[in-house]
Amino acid sequence: MIIGIDAGSRTVAEAEHLLHMVAEALGTPPGLIGCTHFVRTGVPHVACSLAVPEPVDPSLLPTGVSAAVGESRTGPDGEGAARAAAEHASGEGGRVVLFPGRAELVGSLTVAELLARSALDQVLVLAQPEPPSAAAVVVTNDHVRPVWREGLMTLLTMPMAGGRLTPAEVPNPTPCCADHA
Amino acid sequence: MSHGHPHPHPHPHDHSHDDGAAPGQGEMAAVVDMSVADKDLSPAELSRRQMFRRAGLLGAGVTAAGVLGASGRAAADTADTADTAGLTRSTPGEPRDGYLWLAGDHHIHTQHSSDGMYRVIDHVQHANAYGLGWMVITDHGSVAHAKIGVEKVNPDILAAREAVKDTLVFQGLEWNIPAAEHGTVFVAPGRNEVATLKEFENSFDGSVKNATASTPQNEALAIAGLNFLADAVKKRRVPDVLFLANHPARKGLDTPHEIRAWRDAQPGIAIGMEGAPGHQAAGIPKPNGPGSGRGLYDNSPSADSWSGYPPESYKTFGGFDWMTATVGGLWDSLLAEGKAWWITANSDSHTVYGDASDRGPGSDFDANGRYNDPIYKGVPNLANSDFWPGYYSRTHVGAAGFSYGAVMEGLRQGRVWVDHGGLISGLVVRARTSDKRGVTLGDTLHVRQGAQVEVAVEITLANRPNWAQFVPTLARVDLIQGDVTGPVSDKDAFTTPSTKVTQSFEVGKNTGTVTFTFKLGAVDRPVYVRLRGTDGNRSAPGLLGAAVDPHGPQIDVFGDADPWKDLWFYTNPIWILPRR
Repeated sequence: MIIGIDAGSRTVAEAEHLLHMVAEALGTPPGLIGCTHFVRTGVPHVACSLAVPEPVDPSLLPTGVSAAVGESRTGPDGEGAARAAAEHASGEGGRVVLFPGRAELVGSLTVAELLARSALDQVLVLAQPEPPSAAAVVVTNDHVRPVWREGLMTLLTMPMAGGRLTPAEVPNPTPCCADHA
Repeated sequence: MSHGHPHPHPHPHDHSHDDGAAPGQGEMAAVVDMSVADKDLSPAELSRRQMFRRAGLLGAGVTAAGVLGASGRAAADTADTADTAGLTRSTPGEPRDGYLWLAGDHHIHTQHSSDGMYRVIDHVQHANAYGLGWMVITDHGSVAHAKIGVEKVNPDILAAREAVKDTLVFQGLEWNIPAAEHGTVFVAPGRNEVATLKEFENSFDGSVKNATASTPQNEALAIAGLNFLADAVKKRRVPDVLFLANHPARKGLDTPHEIRAWRDAQPGIAIGMEGAPGHQAAGIPKPNGPGSGRGLYDNSPSADSWSGYPPESYKTFGGFDWMTATVGGLWDSLLAEGKAWWITANSDSHTVYGDASDRGPGSDFDANGRYNDPIYKGVPNLANSDFWPGYYSRTHVGAAGFSYGAVMEGLRQGRVWVDHGGLISGLVVRARTSDKRGVTLGDTLHVRQGAQVEVAVEITLANRPNWAQFVPTLARVDLIQGDVTGPVSDKDAFTTPSTKVTQSFEVGKNTGTVTFTFKLGAVDRPVYVRLRGTDGNRSAPGLLGAAVDPHGPQIDVFGDADPWKDLWFYTNPIWILPRR
C-alpha cells in the first residue's frame, strides 16, 4: 500500500528530508519506493509518498506531518498527502527518491549497469526519440532521481562532456540528506 | 593587419560592405570617413554614423547623400505612432533600411545586485567599446534594492550618460514577477524615473512582497504591477515603460497562460521575452570554464513550476531558451494567435568570464544597498558565467533615431533581430509584393487575397572578427512560416500545428553581403514568417520532428557548450494578411 505524507515542504530538498525522517520513524525495511510529488493544495508545495509492505501506524509519524492511507486522512493537509499517494499509484507522476538499488548507483555506470543494479525500468535522453545504447556511460554524480512515466521508473538524462550522459536533474550544490542515504 | 595608412582617409568606394572588409579598415574608419557615402556603409556602420551625427560628433553637411531622407524619416515616424496591439497597424511607405539598427542589451547587473559586483560605468564602458547603442541597468528587485539601491544607482547612471554619450543608458530593474520568473522593467529617462521604479518595486516585486509562489493571487499581483506601469505612463509620471520576461523557461515558472495574460493586460508595455538568456559562458568546459549548463539552465522542476512543461524546457538549444528555440513551440503559438510578442538576447552580466577583478572587500550590501567598488585581483576567474554587454549577445533594434524614445518604440514595434557572437553584422528583411517596398520586422503586410508575396533578405555578413577574434561564417538561413489562426481557447497552449521551416538558403560565407528572396507564393490566408540563421556547427531535428524543423538547434551539452562554436541569429516575425 502507498502512504501519502505532507508537511508543506516548499522545496524538493525539504521533502526528501521529510521522506527519510518518515521512513526512519516508521521503521520501514530498506528497499522501499519513496517519491516526491508537486501538489497544489493551498500554496504550491512538495508532498511525498512511500510504498509500504504492510499497514503503518500514523501515530508514529513526526508531529505536524499529514498523512493519507487509503481513505483515511490525518493532519492539516491530508488532501496533499492523498494526492501524492494517488500520483504514485498511477505511475504517471512523481519523482523517485528511494528505490531498490539506489545505493549502488554511484560514479559512472553504463545504462546496462544502471538497469541491472536497481529498480530502474528505463533510461531516456532529453530531446532524443530513441533510448541510449546499453553501453552509453552515465555520470551519476551520485544523484539519481528517476521519474514515473507510464508506469515505468525512468531516468531522464542529457548529453554531457566527453560523449557521456548525466541525469537531467543536476544535484543541488549543497546536497540534502547526504547523511541519510 | 599591415594596412598601414592612418584614418580617416579618402579612398574609393569599392571597398564597401561587399568586398570582404579589407584588413585594417575598422568599422569606425568608414563610419567617420565622409568620403564614404551613407549608401555604401553596412547597416551597422550606418547606425554608428547616424549615432554620431545625432550626438553632434559629425558635421551635418554629409547627411544629404544618406538613404535616410527627411521625408522618409517622417514616414517612418508616422508608422511608429500607429497602434501597437498586434495586427491592426497601418503600413505607410518606409524607405528600405530606413532605421538605425542599434545593438543593445536589456539585462545587466551592477554592484547594486546582491550577486553583482561592477560599477555602472564598468558596464557602460565595455558595452560602448563592444558596440552597443543602448543598454538597460537591471539590478534585482529586493528589499535592499527597493530601499536603497534603486536610488543609489541613479546618480551613477546619470554620470555614465554624461561620460559615454553614444550609448543610451536606461535605468530599469529586474522584477521578481509575482508567481513567475524575472523580468526587465525599464523606463524612459525623466524626473520621476527613480520614484516610479521605487514605488513599483515596493508595491509589486515578488521578493519584496513575499509573492513568488505560483498562486492565482500572486498572478493577479503581476497584472496589477503592469497596470501600475501603464498608469504611470498615462499620468505622465514617466515618458515610457517596457517589460520583457527574462530567461522564461529556465525554471518552468512562466506558464503559457501567464505570458498571455501579461501581454493581453498591457500589450504596449509587456512586449516580449528573452529568446536567448544571458550567462552564455556557463557551459564552457572545466577547467577553463564553469562547466555548467549554457545560460545557467541547470534547474529542475520545483513546486512552483508548471506541470505541463516537458523536461526539455529546462534546457537551452543552441544557446536559446526552449520557448523560442522550438519551431512550432510556445513562441510560435503566440505568433500564430497574432499576438505581438518579441524576443531579445542579452548578457545578464553579473560577473564576467575570465575577468581578473573581484567584488569590493569589506562590503555590507544589506546596509549600503551596494557592494563597494570592485578591485583588481589579478587572478582570472574562469568560473564566471557571463560576458560583458555587447560581447556575445546582441539585440538589434531598428530605431527611428538615436534617442531613448526611439529605441523603446523600435522594441515595442518588434523591429528587432538578435544574434550571438557576431554571426552577422547587419540584416534587412522586407516582406513585399513584387511592386511594393513592403514592410520590415514586427510589422504587418496587408495584401489582396492570393497576392504573390516574397521575403527579401539582405545580410551583411560578419566581415570582421568578433570578440573571440574569428570571423563567423553564416552557413544557412531558414524561413519559418506558420498560419495565423487567431486566439486560442486553451490559454496554456504551447504548440501550434502549422508552423515549420518551409525554405532554407545556404550561404557558407563570412564576408560581403548576401541578398536572396524567399517566394511565399500566393498568400490566401493569414500567415507569419520569421528567419533564423546558423553557423551550421551543431544541429538536430527539432523537438516537434524533422518534418517541422529538419536542422534545428541541438540541445546544449551540459558542461561542454563553448558558446563561440554554436552561433545563431533569430528575427522577429512579419505578418502577412490577405484582405477578405
